[in-house]
Amino acid sequence: MPLSATHAIPDVSIAKIDASQVKLDVQNLDFFYGKNRALKSVSIPFEANAVTALIGPSGCGKSTLLRTLNRMYALYPGQRATGKIMLDGEDILRPGVNLSMLRAKIGMVFQKPTPFPMSIYDNVAFGVRLYETLNKTDMSERVEESLRRAALWEEVKDKLQTSGLGLSGGQQQRLCVARCIAVKPEILLLDEPTSALDPISSAKLEETVTQLKQDYTIVIVTHNLGQAARISKYTGFMYLGELVEFGQTAEMFTKPVTTRGSDYITGRFG
Amino acid sequence: MAVSARLVATRRLSNLVFVAFCGVVTAIALTALALILYSLVTQGIGGMNLDIFTKSTPAAGTPGGLINAIVGSIMMSVVGMFIALLIGILAGTWLAEYAGESRFGAVVRFLNDVLLSAPSILIGLFVYEILVFPFKTFSGFAGGVALAMLAAPVITRTTEDVLKLQPIALRESGVALGSPVWHVIRNILWRGATSGILTGALLAFARISGETAPLLFTALNNQFFSWDMAHPMSSLPVVIFQDALTPYPDLNRLAWAGALLIAGSVLGVTIIARAFAKEPKR
Amino acid sequence: MSIELNAVRRRSTPHGFAFEPIFEGLCFGAATMLLIALGGVLVALTIGGWPAFSKFGLDFITGVTWDPNPEHEVYGAAGPIVGTLLTSALALLMALPVAGGVAFFLVELCPTFLRRPIGTAVELLAGIPSIVYGMWGLFVFAPFFASHVETPLMSAAPAGSIWETVFSGIPNGSGILAASIILAIMILPFMAATLRELLSTVPAQVRESAYGLGATTGEVVMKVTLPYVQRGAIGAVMLGLGRALGETMAVTFIIGNSHGFPKGMFDSGSTIASTIANEFNEASGLQSSSLIALGLLLFVITFIVLALARLLLRNQVKA
Repeated sequence: MPLSATHAIPDVSIAKIDASQVKLDVQNLDFFYGKNRALKSVSIPFEANAVTALIGPSGCGKSTLLRTLNRMYALYPGQRATGKIMLDGEDILRPGVNLSMLRAKIGMVFQKPTPFPMSIYDNVAFGVRLYETLNKTDMSERVEESLRRAALWEEVKDKLQTSGLGLSGGQQQRLCVARCIAVKPEILLLDEPTSALDPISSAKLEETVTQLKQDYTIVIVTHNLGQAARISKYTGFMYLGELVEFGQTAEMFTKPVTTRGSDYITGRFG
Repeated sequence: MAVSARLVATRRLSNLVFVAFCGVVTAIALTALALILYSLVTQGIGGMNLDIFTKSTPAAGTPGGLINAIVGSIMMSVVGMFIALLIGILAGTWLAEYAGESRFGAVVRFLNDVLLSAPSILIGLFVYEILVFPFKTFSGFAGGVALAMLAAPVITRTTEDVLKLQPIALRESGVALGSPVWHVIRNILWRGATSGILTGALLAFARISGETAPLLFTALNNQFFSWDMAHPMSSLPVVIFQDALTPYPDLNRLAWAGALLIAGSVLGVTIIARAFAKEPKR
Repeated sequence: MSIELNAVRRRSTPHGFAFEPIFEGLCFGAATMLLIALGGVLVALTIGGWPAFSKFGLDFITGVTWDPNPEHEVYGAAGPIVGTLLTSALALLMALPVAGGVAFFLVELCPTFLRRPIGTAVELLAGIPSIVYGMWGLFVFAPFFASHVETPLMSAAPAGSIWETVFSGIPNGSGILAASIILAIMILPFMAATLRELLSTVPAQVRESAYGLGATTGEVVMKVTLPYVQRGAIGAVMLGLGRALGETMAVTFIIGNSHGFPKGMFDSGSTIASTIANEFNEASGLQSSSLIALGLLLFVITFIVLALARLLLRNQVKA
């Protein structure tokens, strides 16, 4: 797109997505840590069964945005969000939402692997046991299926009763993915899931994510622009608590529309 | 560059004095402590025999042992530990998981640290006032409560410390699965903190099993073997205290044997506790 | 049997959600119990000691006569108070340089193969029940002290000199100085272990850069390491002082247990804790109240010392 003086470069550019495709829709979201405003009227749609990447420099609010999507912030007094987050036509920020049921629909994987101090089997079964009473066979099937989808089954099938803490970092992270999937969520939130992993483990996890996207709506926060480009369909670029640019990843990485977006992607800052 | 030879010489000399001082005082300290252990072991073994574990405390001049005191000590320590674990683990959990930066949390944390090293004899006086005086009898139960007040702050502190060592992401990933917070604490955080809490509990146990002062006005003593915690109860430290201060050599020997028993078990428990603390996380 | 997605789910709210506030309440209750315990000690001691305070007023603290004889009961606590402060101060004076020396030795000078065993030994000794120190003081130390220290020092003292006044008393091995020495030996491992833990928190780079400038071991310790942990070190010393002030058993065996104002280093005396330990079970009425009032004084003194120690030590070591 040739730029001329008459075509002012937009400060903010948010692409639209067909409403019927949107699984999770954030509307005018503000977030406060006490008096500190960490998100400034952010509006962003997340397409169903697609990967959306959130990028931006440290402290830009991308992790904060992720933590509002499953209302993780509700653990901490003094943190609050205003605006709307529509999930299947229901505002999840509304008071009185059953947080447990919400979080069962929305799984989350963290920056560092967080295996629970129990066996691999019990790690995967932990979430399931919260909501469902399965007999032994059904539970074993669920565990196996989840581990398979997280591409971990072959590596652990002979040691399901050993501690999850004994796995390598990459395996632990895939165990956490399996643990999420086992609850049968609809949305997966990944908060820099590969930043603590070596390159080979990272590649494996990316592969897993790519396979999962057919069935899940996935939101991934990442520092690694290459990763965002490889696995996501949409990318949102955030800066200082604002969503600056949102659009198809392919377009955004080749011809970013905003100055800040292009500066970040070409590595001029951040 | 001129280096003052005199200055260098002075510095070397003063360093020599420093090094020599440290070496000498360490030697003195270790010698003094070794002497104490030597007396304890030789005198204690001298007083040791089978009667110790089969007979109750005697009057002067008659044969006897310490079984009533041993059983009393164990029972009161167990009661004390039971209460202290209940309160200590819950209070430590509150400080680590719920208190946050709140003012009340800071106050509890601070006063717990003070209680941690408060004079144990005052705990004895307090328990006398609330449990002995109103019920008009010394009791093993009162002794257990006094010991619990000494152990609870230790367990509270350790529980808080080991819970805080666990990553925030661990509790968040439990909550992210939709689990209630208390369920995360019980099934994930406590489980991960088990060895740490156990270490703290053993150290607390070692501490209370040697305490004398808080038992003097609570459990008192009992010449006879007894399981009854509603009445006066014998304990090793109190028996040692009373027998050591008599002019009778056979009672003094019994006191040494008791002291060796106590010191030995305290050392044993401490060593086990340290082994737990060192065990690498799997 | 694959995980069907977007299917109607038959999930129920996790069990135990109702227990959430109850659990938090239990934890909060336990934390509050600790507060109540400490507050309870203060309240119980104040109520119990009130009759003594109201009868004797300020004389309770300044009076030197402690006489339980029912004909003319008088309780003045100056003797035990001075005995407590004096023995603790002397013990600290003796233990501090030694504990410091041991800690410096372990951190800076000790050959590596000895560091672990000696360090562990010191920590283990810190856990030995104080009654063991008391017994050793009574049976082993006192006879030695009487014949090898007290008697020679007293007979060598020129009549009428300060020396004679300071070292007056009965050379039977028990008294103020002997109790102070036993107390010093008792708090020594604790203080050495705490100081060592504190010193080992100094980052290696800090020490190494001082050595890199050509500083000697002594200079590194006195000018770099120690100032680095100054606050904590003072806190550790105060914690040791707190222990000495409240110690009962190590002292009761060897201080001689007389209520008068101690006249010399070898004179027998008493501390607050030893007085309570010796008399409380036989006491009643005003005597009992006076003993509890003594306990309150000890509580106030140690609370101040321990509170200061904790403020200085905050977040530095676990002791």
